Amino acid sequence: MKKLFFVLFSLIINVDTFAAFESTYEPLQSEKILFINGNILDGEGNELLDTDLLIADGKIIAIGKGISVDDKDVKIIDARNKWITPGIIDIHSHMGVYPAPSVRTSSDGNEATSPVTAEVWAEHSMWVQDPQYALALKGGITTFHVLPGSANLIGGRGVTVKNLQRNTIQSMKYPDAKHSLKMACGENPKRVYGNRGQAPSTRMGNFAGYRKAWIEAENYLNKLEAYDAKSDEEKMVESPPKRDLRLDTLSDVLKDEILVHIHCYRAEEMALMIDVAKEFNYKITAFHHGVEAYKIADLLADNGICGALWADWWGFKHEAYDMVQANIAIVDQARGGKGCAIVHSDDERGIQRLNQEAAKARAAGNRAGYDISKARAMNWITSNPAKAAGIYDETGSLVAGKNADVVLWSGDPFSVYSLAEQVFIDGALAFDRNTGFGPVSDFDVGIVDPREDRVND
Amino acid sequence: MIRIIYCFVLCFISISAYSQTIVIKGGEIHTGLNEEPFVGDILIDGDTILEVSKMALKGDVIVDAANKIITPGVIAPDTQIGILEIGAISETRDGDSNMYSMGFSVYDAINPNSTLIPWNRSNGVTSAITLPDFNWDPLSGMASYFLLDGSLRVNGIADIALTGEIGAVSSGSRAESLILLKDLLEFASTLSEKDISSSEKISEAMEGFEVADLMELQPRDVVALYNLLNNNLPLIINVNRASDILKLIDIKKLYGLNLILMSAQEAELVKNEIAENNIPVIINPFDNIPDSFDELASNIRISASLEKVGIKVMFSESRTHNYHLIRQGAGNAVANGMTYTGAIMALTSNVAKSFNITDRGILKKGMKADIVVWEDDPLEPSTFPMKVFIDGNDMDLTTRSSRLTERYVDKRDLPNTYK
Repeated sequence: MKKLFFVLFSLIINVDTFAAFESTYEPLQSEKILFINGNILDGEGNELLDTDLLIADGKIIAIGKGISVDDKDVKIIDARNKWITPGIIDIHSHMGVYPAPSVRTSSDGNEATSPVTAEVWAEHSMWVQDPQYALALKGGITTFHVLPGSANLIGGRGVTVKNLQRNTIQSMKYPDAKHSLKMACGENPKRVYGNRGQAPSTRMGNFAGYRKAWIEAENYLNKLEAYDAKSDEEKMVESPPKRDLRLDTLSDVLKDEILVHIHCYRAEEMALMIDVAKEFNYKITAFHHGVEAYKIADLLADNGICGALWADWWGFKHEAYDMVQANIAIVDQARGGKGCAIVHSDDERGIQRLNQEAAKARAAGNRAGYDISKARAMNWITSNPAKAAGIYDETGSLVAGKNADVVLWSGDPFSVYSLAEQVFIDGALAFDRNTGFGPVSDFDVGIVDPREDRVND
Repeated sequence: MIRIIYCFVLCFISISAYSQTIVIKGGEIHTGLNEEPFVGDILIDGDTILEVSKMALKGDVIVDAANKIITPGVIAPDTQIGILEIGAISETRDGDSNMYSMGFSVYDAINPNSTLIPWNRSNGVTSAITLPDFNWDPLSGMASYFLLDGSLRVNGIADIALTGEIGAVSSGSRAESLILLKDLLEFASTLSEKDISSSEKISEAMEGFEVADLMELQPRDVVALYNLLNNNLPLIINVNRASDILKLIDIKKLYGLNLILMSAQEAELVKNEIAENNIPVIINPFDNIPDSFDELASNIRISASLEKVGIKVMFSESRTHNYHLIRQGAGNAVANGMTYTGAIMALTSNVAKSFNITDRGILKKGMKADIVVWEDDPLEPSTFPMKVFIDGNDMDLTTRSSRLTERYVDKRDLPNTYK
């Protein structure tokens, strides 16, 4: 009887810790569609010419030559001379937290009031009516990950979002996707806090800051686990440790429930960050920006860490000075192709053409002597970012059983002249260039001419 | 003896440079004029194009350009190349003056050894216009033009244009900026050649003009104002909102300004007025983001729609380090409706014409030989130049970036001692 009581008691506790801000996402009405005779880059490194793709009930059903469907309701899309790819995924976006127009009152990406703000969540800053989501959709973006900015050593939680604009953040959140933890190396945190005469003001100050935070997180986790290990009787008389939002996030990282994404440019800092992760026994999922990732490409490959990189940005800071255009290719090809390279945008214009950025990175790699196929380079903007967001089992490549996140391109997606003609999210049409079908944010409505929408593409 | 050898080598180089002609053979030539491309040869003698022809030409050195595409060198219209090395390090930036406004020239600050020069050159940019920082004054400093040949004695044209900015301000009103602009121009319109002949004369000329005091004008600022109205100096105004553009057009008409609109994200709404008044526009072809409430009409088809009404379009890129990406931008403009020929003109001749650069930007007889031979379609961002000529010189395409690549493609972990 007593035991039963304790079970009930703990059930009550469970109810009490209801998961706030859970996804309420529901897909649009999906269709049964057979794309015929398309050229497919499947996100798994394969180029499949003149191939069919069948989607239904929001999922990919089959991919192959000569698929026949005995169903009058199936919609046929002739994809001859067109290209089909998985939905493009951007692992580094600030849409919503730095929306357009870029005004101070909506500039909500950096809680730059303390160097460790693990307690803040990007999704609590996101503006759902940001007009930038729809522009990204026209570039084939079906999923994106929104991160806090890089002012802080530990900036807070990032969130993965379906590019389906709705009136609440919960309804856009990718169901059951893990959060990320945004950390930042180098110039930004030490500049922001150093300028205020506060720690950190140096790179060594940065590292002390990370380690102090993780020591706190370890202590917190130890207390939580010690309490969990107590007998039910003991729990009756002892209250659990006081909840701490900041340490909740950090201890979730130590429990492997949050993915670590680190803004870090310099090779030696990335190598040091890997040691900090080993010291406190957590895993780094990806280094972002990593202008010098090529210098330690093997170390990244050996540790299973992705490089989420630009094709060619450089020079805005000293730590971004040693740019090589082959950066992405070198990271990708490290240890005989065991590297994980991602093309990211961190930019509201770049997110609209990640395919072109991948094209540049591939061309630069091949100029440097590699032989990287288009099919391989497609992974940089589909399956690899899906892995880094922890959603690869569901999306990021065209494989039977996965979500039907699909882009139909007017031509070779590595050409500047090719445009996304149709974009499907979970098997439902989200954008159609030919008919103009697609989302319009509230912001866009009647703001230039009251009778029209702002963007009438 | 050493001196003799030195002289011998030097003389030999200079003699050969003048005696040897170069023929770029069999490429698809895009002249930068509004005409169809054709397959042909280009003959270069010294720094000049001697002939461009569909017929075979003869020369001493042959550059095989079969199946390649040839364009004039890209001219970048609003960069900070040469006066900016690293954005976040103010000591490496020379775009701002505390002393001068309109009379501030960036020409003497240009660093021919900047890493931005070989980088942009290796990507097809052969010359650039460099602008001082914008500081929300309706009129600020002067832009200069120079060749990306890396010559320590900068080859260029100092003070090729004046700059300014009109639009949203966080405190005060745009109306104030427009009044200030008109007051400055009104003062400028009173100036005669005699008024600017000496500092004393300039001081006399400033008397009674409050705006001269208000703006703390220095003699060189007054000279710049004189040149703006009397020497047809192009005036680049950074502006976005459609209503502001219309005000500027009125002011242009009133004072006969040689106005160039920059950014101009709402230009499409007033494109007919812009076209009627023959105003060139510098536009970022990537930019379809309503970054501010001045840019709400921003969209991806602006380049095409301005071209259609006959406006001379030029392309800009927000990141000066990678200014060469204007050709990727040009590709995007074509993907969204602009003509291919128009996009090439936007990268070359439209810039030369808008800034009165009469001897570059076009591949034709008598022009300076700034020429790029591209491996493939230059508007594809994955295409790189095979050859870049500036003033007829076959430029080395090595960059700091290409050197770093060589150090790390393999043997990454070697100590630097052995690299």
